[in-house]
Amino acid sequence: MTEPEKWQIGGHHRKLGAMERMRGIARYTDDLSLPRMLHAKILRSPHAHARILAIDPTKAMQMPGVIAVITGSDMPTPYGVIPWTPDENVLAIEKALYVGDGVACVAAETEDQAVAALAGIEVEYEVLQAYFDPEEALAAEETINPYARKGNLSKEVELAFGDVDKGLEDAALVIEGDYEFHGTTHGAIEPHCALAKVDPDGLLTVWSATQVPHYLHRELAKVLEIPARQIRVIQPPVGGAFGGKSEPFDLEFCVAKLSQITGRPVKLLYTREEVFYAHRGRHPMKMHYRHGFDAKGKLVAVDAKTLLDGGAYSSFGLVTTYYSGQLLCAPYELGSYRFHSRRAYTNKPACGPKRGHGSVQPRFAMEVQLDKAAIALDLDPIELRRQNAMGSDSLTVNELRVGSNGFLDCLAAVELASGWKERRAKLGFGHGLGVAGSTYISGTNYAIYPNEMPQAAVQITLDRSGRARIFSGASDIGQGSDTMLAVIAGEELGLPTEDIRVLSADTDLCPVDLGAYSSRITLMVGNACLDAARKLRKKVTASVAKRWECSAKQVSLVARQAIDMNDPARRVDLVEAFHWAEADHGLLGEVGSYDTPKDRHGSYRGGAIGASPAYSFTAHVAEVKVDDETGEVEVVKIWCAHDCGKAISRGLVEGQIEGSCYMGAAEVVLESHGVNAEMGGLHHGPSFLDYRMPTTLDTAEIEALIVEAPDARGPHGAKEAGEGPLHSTIPAIVNAIYDAVGVRVDDLPVTPAKLVRAIEAQRALMGDA
Amino acid sequence: MNDTDKTRADEPAPAVSLLRFRLNGADVSVAVEDHRTLLEVLRYGLDLTGTKQGCDEGECGACTVLLDDKPVLSCCTLAAQVEGRDVRTVEALAEREAAALLDAFDRHDAAQCGFCTPGVLMSAEALLMDTRRAVTMPEAAQALSGNLCRCTGYTKILHAVVDASERLAEEDAEHGAAS
Amino acid sequence: MLPLLQTRIASPRSLDEALELMATPRARAVAGGTDLLPNLKRRLGSASLLVSLHALSELRGIEVGDAGLSIGAGTTLTDVATSDLVKRHAPSLAQAAVLVASPQIRNMGTLGGNLCLDTRCRWVNQTDFWRGALGGCLKSAQMDPETSFKNADVCHVVPGGKRCVAAVSADTVPVLIALDATARVASKRGVRRLRVVDLFVNDGVRNLAIEPDELLIGVDVPTHAGARRERYVKWRVRGSIDFPLVSAALRFDLDGDVVKDARLVVGVLGARPKVVGVERVAVGRKLDAELATELAELAHRQCTPLENVPYEAGHRRHLLRVLVRRAIEALAQG
Repeated sequence: MTEPEKWQIGGHHRKLGAMERMRGIARYTDDLSLPRMLHAKILRSPHAHARILAIDPTKAMQMPGVIAVITGSDMPTPYGVIPWTPDENVLAIEKALYVGDGVACVAAETEDQAVAALAGIEVEYEVLQAYFDPEEALAAEETINPYARKGNLSKEVELAFGDVDKGLEDAALVIEGDYEFHGTTHGAIEPHCALAKVDPDGLLTVWSATQVPHYLHRELAKVLEIPARQIRVIQPPVGGAFGGKSEPFDLEFCVAKLSQITGRPVKLLYTREEVFYAHRGRHPMKMHYRHGFDAKGKLVAVDAKTLLDGGAYSSFGLVTTYYSGQLLCAPYELGSYRFHSRRAYTNKPACGPKRGHGSVQPRFAMEVQLDKAAIALDLDPIELRRQNAMGSDSLTVNELRVGSNGFLDCLAAVELASGWKERRAKLGFGHGLGVAGSTYISGTNYAIYPNEMPQAAVQITLDRSGRARIFSGASDIGQGSDTMLAVIAGEELGLPTEDIRVLSADTDLCPVDLGAYSSRITLMVGNACLDAARKLRKKVTASVAKRWECSAKQVSLVARQAIDMNDPARRVDLVEAFHWAEADHGLLGEVGSYDTPKDRHGSYRGGAIGASPAYSFTAHVAEVKVDDETGEVEVVKIWCAHDCGKAISRGLVEGQIEGSCYMGAAEVVLESHGVNAEMGGLHHGPSFLDYRMPTTLDTAEIEALIVEAPDARGPHGAKEAGEGPLHSTIPAIVNAIYDAVGVRVDDLPVTPAKLVRAIEAQRALMGDA
Repeated sequence: MNDTDKTRADEPAPAVSLLRFRLNGADVSVAVEDHRTLLEVLRYGLDLTGTKQGCDEGECGACTVLLDDKPVLSCCTLAAQVEGRDVRTVEALAEREAAALLDAFDRHDAAQCGFCTPGVLMSAEALLMDTRRAVTMPEAAQALSGNLCRCTGYTKILHAVVDASERLAEEDAEHGAAS
Repeated sequence: MLPLLQTRIASPRSLDEALELMATPRARAVAGGTDLLPNLKRRLGSASLLVSLHALSELRGIEVGDAGLSIGAGTTLTDVATSDLVKRHAPSLAQAAVLVASPQIRNMGTLGGNLCLDTRCRWVNQTDFWRGALGGCLKSAQMDPETSFKNADVCHVVPGGKRCVAAVSADTVPVLIALDATARVASKRGVRRLRVVDLFVNDGVRNLAIEPDELLIGVDVPTHAGARRERYVKWRVRGSIDFPLVSAALRFDLDGDVVKDARLVVGVLGARPKVVGVERVAVGRKLDAELATELAELAHRQCTPLENVPYEAGHRRHLLRVLVRRAIEALAQG
């Protein structure tokens, strides 16, 4: 009797809910409307740093249609997505900390009236000195954030593993460099939106375009000072997130509070400008790296000093600071490792998690360092990486346990697909290939708030019409997590995905899930789903076996049928099998759980941050053409090989790889998020025109190559694919630029102006030699 | 907080007109304030929420609809400007092109979060209706160059558009051969 | 959303009706709306009455006649870009038109609207909240007189500057000037004609010599006999959507391979396009790589991009030289 082939896992599937979204039938948060709904708008500070002396809403309250105005003191409890750093208020109370910080919120009958009413809220500010440079902020006497405990030092992490100084001293080659990564933001096409209503019995319902309904639920309870059981959070289909919607925001609390005050539903939709102010995007980082190699090119020591520019609030900053060092210890064996990362508060929109959270910037530096070493040692950059690759089932220098590891296969795949060996030397000046590698976590072992409960849970029921219902807290933000769960359950239960309903992200109906961040859903929620599905499968096969008088092991559930594998002619419709099982067991419902292993990280403080049940691996080759006169970089093609363990649904994984490559490439040459220090900290340009995201004409050809090194800890061996593939896109392009024109730009973005200057400087140098 | 019955004596009444146009194949007439955009009327006046708002400033393409069969940005079109004209939104994609495009998008996984997709489909539909033959990737890229997508990196979207155009061309050829 | 302020709208069915309405105080004409609406949403300018031109079919159309290639101001940019007549008689205009913004905007936007595009500046083309936080500037203050701006007499581009230097940013403008086009402007008082180059004045706040009650109704591009080579050069960061950051129109009339007449017009500098004095150098010369370098050098010397549009001025100046040189080299090849 053979194990049946997987009939769902690894295939291509039609995405659940895709038709509704594409045809405009799915209702995203701003598509929702309730009777007597009010519209809210937030008044924001025009100053980067100012004490709020007084707020007078009298004029606003007299304006047509205005029903209520709230200010910071209406919700004084500070909060923060990380419970150790609750350093923000819904609306600023003592001080406004950046241009765009919310200070008041008005609800009116129409949006026109709410917008007009903002002018009627009079705020008296005392403008204070503002700090836009993290080093200046750290040196300043004045503390920016009123809840900060260490002045403008938001977080500091110093960890060392092995004797780095000795390693560098004994090294045959030391590569030292300064690297700068600018700020970028998520740019999801759907702006944030929240809608709240309060029922006569006091039950508060909040719909929000969020990635983290559970965290929102907790913070709403905390800030509104009502029990969590009186709150229901529903996450409608979300129009993109990428980490920009993974914490509670002002608008969610405001609509809730205003709904409580007015007794009417209240909706607030951010303008595009407000999304830039909310930000929580990629931290600008200044990095100083030293890499020591032996004569053959084996890494012996790595030393990193990193300064993170955190903006006005912590957001996930505690975690980011750890990640900036902790996540760089694979895919290479470092020998010894030390990092010192500091995060500073500044008077700018707060930075937070953007796809690849905290490790994208250091990975850029690491991979360029390796490239420089390869050049110095006259080694093929791919060979150098091969030489230093760690194997599977190994321990990183910072004691993180790596399970399966397909990195070498990834390198081989991009090497082959790009024609690396044959083409690289033959491309003329202005045309180049670059390579880079990386790794990422499949969810984090670190629970954002400390607790002993499982990190993920899924409830599945089977009904008499032959369908399965999956109740999952997981947020499908477009990545296809609902489909992934349906495929896993369908595999076990013999159901095609059309027969599976996934109800997700409603805190009244679904189990708690921590949210769509840190690439956790496939591994964690997938495992919980597998757990529940297997329990149900057991019941169903047992009931069939009973009636067939055979062993349950020979009953296979596939394609809406139960089949006797020893005698395939004997088969029964799955509906019938479900009826048998319900007759035997009663209502067919099971809960599956998943909790992260506790033994896969070091016991030092912070050891869990960066620990993951399993790590994905990625390798990129990028091909660029550089116009040395104009400085324009054309990214011609990107090959990305990503080890996702096992692709549960291939189209979804390809989509994540392609989307990640597109987003990473944009961060090298196009996007730049920042404020104008000389103009009072005003955002450079909070619009989709000024913040240039690639159009179809700016995007390279992308070839996604799925590599599978199944990990025992993943469902069917699956690991993440949502964030990993972004990382090495960036250094692959930067290294390709060097290959093309022999010039390094170590501070991103690589703008045409910068590149021309670098090329001309290089020429001047060569000319003088 | 104010009483919910707010006097509006101070507020000048907005100018309101009766707007008559053809919407998704049917004649409609709706009272519209003069300063409303087509996007506002569709989404909030007529509850046709398939057309999305990404920026409201003419910079992202999420609000694309067809006006007299041409893709336009509804956020920058005054509602009054569609008087007597033909508007089509994603809720009523042209049957023939719609079937081919939706099927291709579904098979290719060309929609992730789906927020840009209605606008993309309108631009793609117009391309297919205009060209009536198989299109190339560069042609598809040009036609969609005013629609921002943040999730997909465009790869699967462009393949889906080309695929749909090839199938329609095949159908046309079969019909031609048959007749 | 960014709701517009309350305003009235009228959709005249005839030009006469439109001109009558344009005489209303604070009336603004709107055709495609792709420039006006975003500006109004940001409270850059205001209107008591929007006069929509969409129903004026008499403003649309492309034909060749006594006045040359005549294009109605209401003709969409898509129609200009795809017109066989335009491609034949003024190919660089078709080139410019197809490079404007994005497909949707080209379907909506008109040639007249492009000509009348408001000037642009990184300190102005932002929301009212943003400009308020900045304290405004010369242009902000004049376009939004209801608000009191603390920097109402300041220019953030030219320190101490008293004249607004927001940049003319329309792709078709340098081309129409290089082709010696004429504009037809109508009002209740009648129709007047003026060279397109004379439409522009050196004031970034209002850079058009068009009265508030006037409407641009058409443009005439003289047809030409003899060999002509023309090209529009545009640089922007992205391949679509963006306004030009470098913009130049070239035209060479040849006798054999010798230049008889030449024009080089550069946009996106200040409020007015710059007509670079190339005739002195080019006329009588062979159209070749050497001339290309010299003319590019001339453009580089005479044109000073400012830090008004969002890209480093120094680099844009560098690009102007490189791209003009390359464009002329390409034209020299035939």
